[in-house]
Amino acid sequence: MPQQVLEDTLTADSIAADTALATSGDASAFERLYRTHVSRVHTLVRRMLDADEADDVTQDVFIRAWQKLSTFRGESAFGTWLHRLAVNVVLARRKSVGIARGRFVADDQPLNEAAGKPHTPELSMDFEEALSRLPEGARQVFVLHDVEGYRHEEIARMLGIVPGTSKSQLHHARMALRRHLDR
Amino acid sequence: MNDIWTNRLSEYLDGELDSAEQAALEAHLATCGACYATLGELKHVVARAKALPDTPPVKDLWAGIRAGITPAQAAVTARPPVRPSARRFAFSVPQLLAASIALALLSGGGVWIASRPQATKAPDTVLLPPSREAAVRQVVWTRNTDAAIADLQTALTQNETKLDTATVRIVRQNLAIIDRAITDARVALQKDPGNAYLNLHLADTMRRKVELLRRVNAMAART
Repeated sequence: MPQQVLEDTLTADSIAADTALATSGDASAFERLYRTHVSRVHTLVRRMLDADEADDVTQDVFIRAWQKLSTFRGESAFGTWLHRLAVNVVLARRKSVGIARGRFVADDQPLNEAAGKPHTPELSMDFEEALSRLPEGARQVFVLHDVEGYRHEEIARMLGIVPGTSKSQLHHARMALRRHLDR
Repeated sequence: MNDIWTNRLSEYLDGELDSAEQAALEAHLATCGACYATLGELKHVVARAKALPDTPPVKDLWAGIRAGITPAQAAVTARPPVRPSARRFAFSVPQLLAASIALALLSGGGVWIASRPQATKAPDTVLLPPSREAAVRQVVWTRNTDAAIADLQTALTQNETKLDTATVRIVRQNLAIIDRAITDARVALQKDPGNAYLNLHLADTMRRKVELLRRVNAMAART
């Protein structure tokens, strides 16, 4: 068995074992799951919400995961299940804080302003920073579609919009971000 | 550059235009340098998005999570932050050997405790059991782990020439101790297949063996 395949297999088996242990109440196993997955969850949360909320929401995701472990049936990988749970927690947070104002924009201009002036060295920022400055609606559609791989129909259901709006927001986000490709 | 086709470029890129629209846009791209260039930039944005790395939080969040899942024990068990990257290979061979010996002793004791007719108390690490379905999954998991352990032991045989003989001897002695603990757990499980603690205990012991083998192999690979 090639070394990388072996490593991947062992990692998957180790996660499966820890998931089973955690499901039965083993907090040490759950801590190992946390350490394996926290970067992925925290990054998703940070990109979907404001950075200053990321720590609290990430903690909330893992606490909810612990509470809901008994519903994890193993049809998918634990990481996939946790990721979907994280998306749901983020979206619930989005609703609870009521940040609906200006969530979706109709043209490029606000996006251009939010993502910084193009081709201005003194205002240059990296791609992640430019992403963080997009209006929330465009940012969430971009993260869900281009980073996380969800389809427009799924995104529309999650965000309570129509697929056409999701497509439009995605295009606006990409157009704004293309100016920050090399920074 | 903001012609009627510019706003369709993402849909084109994602393969969401119908065949007539796609043909029309491709005809436009053949004559519009601005749209052609923009399409190239959008492709780069999509590629960049897929390649964005995950980064860990600046501070360790486990203490807060631990407090959230076990509020009554949080004050007692909260630990100082541990950086994930520092944790992975934080143990020396002697520490691993000591841990494996302790594991073997605990394993034997655990099996003995779980096998006693009157034994019902779970170990301290088991806190708030949300489900008892794990035992079933453990049976499936141990089959896969047996194969993984066999591969790792083969790798250790190949790697052991890179380690000093004393280390190899001690590693093998302690692997034998862990193996006996695994065997004891399996024998106990044959008598009491539904014992959730024994199933979990077996899985945990096997996982620790996998971790020991991986770490020793990794150390050998680095020498």
